[in-house]
Amino acid sequence: MFLARVKKKVVATEKHPAYHGKRLFVVKPVYPDGREKGTDNEWIAVDYVGAGIGDIVVCGGAPGVAKEVFDLELAPIRTLIMAIVDHVDYRDI
Amino acid sequence: MKLGKVIGVVWATKKVPQIHGCRLYVVQPILENGQDSGQPLVVADPKNIAAPGDRIVFVTNTDAAQAFDTGFAPVNASVVELVDDIA
Repeated sequence: MFLARVKKKVVATEKHPAYHGKRLFVVKPVYPDGREKGTDNEWIAVDYVGAGIGDIVVCGGAPGVAKEVFDLELAPIRTLIMAIVDHVDYRDI
Repeated sequence: MKLGKVIGVVWATKKVPQIHGCRLYVVQPILENGQDSGQPLVVADPKNIAAPGDRIVFVTNTDAAQAFDTGFAPVNASVVELVDDIA
């Protein structure tokens, strides 16, 4: 799993049935203090917790996880936004 | 899952049965600002979502096989969304 900042929203009408009613965001991995890690590293993540643009979130996924989380028959979904970060205690613990 | 641009179509008459009738595209992974990001790859399109020149979202790894109705196909990249806009 990785920390990332939600950059933009992906708008799509034509999609795989498992994606109906789901919001997709462009997320960029960040260091724990919020700085972005390089420029050409981006992922698309399915929002599960109501994240908004600019939030720092925890993203990740494993094979078959989305099938349980969204309880779908077939879920071609990998990266999932699973938490909205309030604060990271980093290097001062 | 990543953004990609369909830059080519792969025509193949001899294929494994699981991907018969499934369109295969050559896709260039891109960033949201359109910049190329990585090497082109072949992506399956079981649900006929994409067409040449489109911006898409594709899923990789084992989850790509679940884009097929049977839930199984020997693929590790599948088209899941046709991108209208990124805002």
